[in-house]
Amino acid sequence: MSTRTSPAPARVPDVPAVPAAAPGTGRAVGRLALRQVRRGGLATLLVAVALTATVAASFDALAADPATLAGLLAVAQNPAVRTLFGEPVALETAGGFTVWRSGTPVAVLVGAWAALATTRTTRGEEEAGRWNLLLAGPVRLRTAVGRQLLAVAAVVTATGAALAAALVLAGTPTGGAAVHGAGIAALGLFSAAVAALAAQVLGTRSAATGAAVAALGAGLLTRSVADGVPGWQGLRWASPFGLLGLSRPYAQDRVLPVLLLLAAAAALAAVALVLAGRRDVGSGLLARPAHRRARTALLGSVGGFAVRRALRPVAGWSTGIGAYYLLIGTTAVALTEFLAQDAAVSDLAGQAGFAALDSVRGFTATVFSLLPVPVGVFAAVRIAALVAAESDRRLALPAAGPVGRLRLLGTEAAVTAAGVLTLLSVAAFATWCGTAAGGGLPLADALRGTWSTAPVALLCLGAAVLAAGWLPSATALVGSLPAVGGFLLQILADSTGAPAWVREVSPFAHLALVPLEPAGTAAALVMTLVAVLLAVVGAAGYRRRDLLC
Amino acid sequence: MSGPALRAVGLTKRYGRTTALDDLSLDVPVGEVFGFLGPNGAGKSTTIRLLLGFARPTAGRAEVFGVDASDVARAHRLLAHVPADVALWPKLTGAEVLHLLAATGAGTDTARRDELVERFGLDPSKPARTYSSGNRQKVALVAAFASRAPLLVLDEPTSGLDPLVEREFRRAVVEAREQGRTVFLCSHQLAEVEAVCDRVGILRAGRLVEVAGVPELRRLHRSEVTVTFTGEPPRLEAVPGVEGVESTGEGRLRFSLTGSPGPVLGQLAAAGVTALSVREPRLEEVFLDHYGEGAVR
Repeated sequence: MSTRTSPAPARVPDVPAVPAAAPGTGRAVGRLALRQVRRGGLATLLVAVALTATVAASFDALAADPATLAGLLAVAQNPAVRTLFGEPVALETAGGFTVWRSGTPVAVLVGAWAALATTRTTRGEEEAGRWNLLLAGPVRLRTAVGRQLLAVAAVVTATGAALAAALVLAGTPTGGAAVHGAGIAALGLFSAAVAALAAQVLGTRSAATGAAVAALGAGLLTRSVADGVPGWQGLRWASPFGLLGLSRPYAQDRVLPVLLLLAAAAALAAVALVLAGRRDVGSGLLARPAHRRARTALLGSVGGFAVRRALRPVAGWSTGIGAYYLLIGTTAVALTEFLAQDAAVSDLAGQAGFAALDSVRGFTATVFSLLPVPVGVFAAVRIAALVAAESDRRLALPAAGPVGRLRLLGTEAAVTAAGVLTLLSVAAFATWCGTAAGGGLPLADALRGTWSTAPVALLCLGAAVLAAGWLPSATALVGSLPAVGGFLLQILADSTGAPAWVREVSPFAHLALVPLEPAGTAAALVMTLVAVLLAVVGAAGYRRRDLLC
Repeated sequence: MSGPALRAVGLTKRYGRTTALDDLSLDVPVGEVFGFLGPNGAGKSTTIRLLLGFARPTAGRAEVFGVDASDVARAHRLLAHVPADVALWPKLTGAEVLHLLAATGAGTDTARRDELVERFGLDPSKPARTYSSGNRQKVALVAAFASRAPLLVLDEPTSGLDPLVEREFRRAVVEAREQGRTVFLCSHQLAEVEAVCDRVGILRAGRLVEVAGVPELRRLHRSEVTVTFTGEPPRLEAVPGVEGVESTGEGRLRFSLTGSPGPVLGQLAAAGVTALSVREPRLEEVFLDHYGEGAVR
């Protein structure tokens, strides 16, 4: 029997007063945000400015020959060309020409970067669990999202300002330069806001990125249709790219469309921030089922698993590429009929750098030669995804199974190569569907055309495997180099009249215009051989280096 | 099968000027549960990466049942692994991950897998994205224990588990040993190592400083001795192996003893000892002896 004695009353500590927030907490988060986007942001800015400046510099040579200029003006009025390049405005001036020729690629570049950077630094950081530490401090989720958005906004604003400055330095009027720069910046802000909103609603980075890119793609398609189809011009007001065109730099310098775009961006960003304050950290507003039945299809082998992981990305890229080439197909017939009717205009078009556009075959062949850019980037990104799985340790469990390194990498490369061929086939099929109404292009010719570009995409795959073996952190960049770098090099070489060997470095210089011309077998073989060589050297590196997990 | 389950011969890994693992030579015989101890950064994970062929040794070699560790396609048919920090593909459910690992791993007993899922309390129908770190660890543990691999390489396998699951883990290790499997267990949980391991290796700053059976290890280290006596207090300070002599009352002494007790017993004989108790050190104390108090927090 024991008597229970109550313990001596312990001194209850006082509830501490909440200290005032340390000054500069938000700023520290802002600095972190800027660190995460500065490198990619600077690269985007430099590419955008270089492209714009180069096109502007090439105008003098073009304008020196009145016949060439007249040809260009005639071609630009065609609905099909308008579909691709937008409405021609003030083409007879250096500024107008530059905006017409480089405006859409630069807008796509800046918009895509802003969207990808935003989902990467918001939803991506959250998904990876890195924000748990950040948000355990005196930082609200809304503040964190807002600061990331501000960092991206700073970069795109700087890009717009740099573009305007470059155009002024090139000798174009200040008003037009300012409107164009402001428009590009506004488009970047809009893209970032769309991506931020998607990142609040959807629970994973890949879903948010997909939704944001799809929204921008839909905007681009809307602009294309509105510019190409008579009577549908009103649709331009519904597309961010359409609003950019409506600002008409160097002709009317309209500010209203740019302001509308800014207002839309601000509204979307405000909604995103409100939603950020109302959701749980680590999940999106759209809750997904917590339980589901196991779907074990394609989980029976390393190869099957590689296919399973590739299915969604291939479907996504196919949708984008298919939509673009469907549009190309539908405009091909209208464009080539117009050019074929008038031999004089056709000649002028040839002098203006639009040779071989007077037949469906020639036109589609020209557009097929752009295909390695997205398809090559796809290949690079897929190999980079394997490296990402390695560095975030997802690969540790499968790699502890009886699977050799070479099989791991080789399977991924083989599945990616199959994905490349799928995308090329999708582009051919979509073009064929598009031209079907006009009865222009047999499917076999379309397939020959798109497949003839495969060596450039395979070069990307080879370069990505090389990087995976020797410089894994730069896999996406090195892998994209043959396609994106080669394409930009060709444009720059063409515009600046660089020596032939500079142009020859680009793999694009070795692509024949298939189906207009027969495929260049020798060049294709050499490029494929180089791709295989790069992959073999990469595989050797992958075999001997330490895994990142 | 003759020869050890795991063998390291002069295994060394350097990253630039840093030596992460220095000349490790070690045999783990078949059927043994081997505990591998060391503070953070001692080189335990580096050792495991080398044993799995994830990293290439700067010098020396590692073998799994006589197969070179770098020949992963063959060596990994004989082992299953649980990483320290389990990462899973976020969209796959636990059941899907287990299916994938069974299909690509060293062979799996599916009935045992279902039983282990129950025992570890894993809900396999949830996507991996929603799992806590403990649940991700359970997925890897179920896959490893359900595999038919004769060697299990476990890196901090219980760091995120609750006590109930940890108890199941210990049972599973004992069952694995009963099946004749070999277990290489890296852990910070010294009580766990003490409970399940036959032998222990202690790593410090990349070097193996001690390998011994758990009872042997305790004997080699400080025991706490308490004596009660009636005569003159014994003079123990000069006796080799004796430290920290303190009086705990009238006719009572406590001190720690390393090594053979012979000389001490000689001294005590003259003191009229009425009671003597010897407490062997816990593994934690052995560990602290090696690293000092600062090493374990």
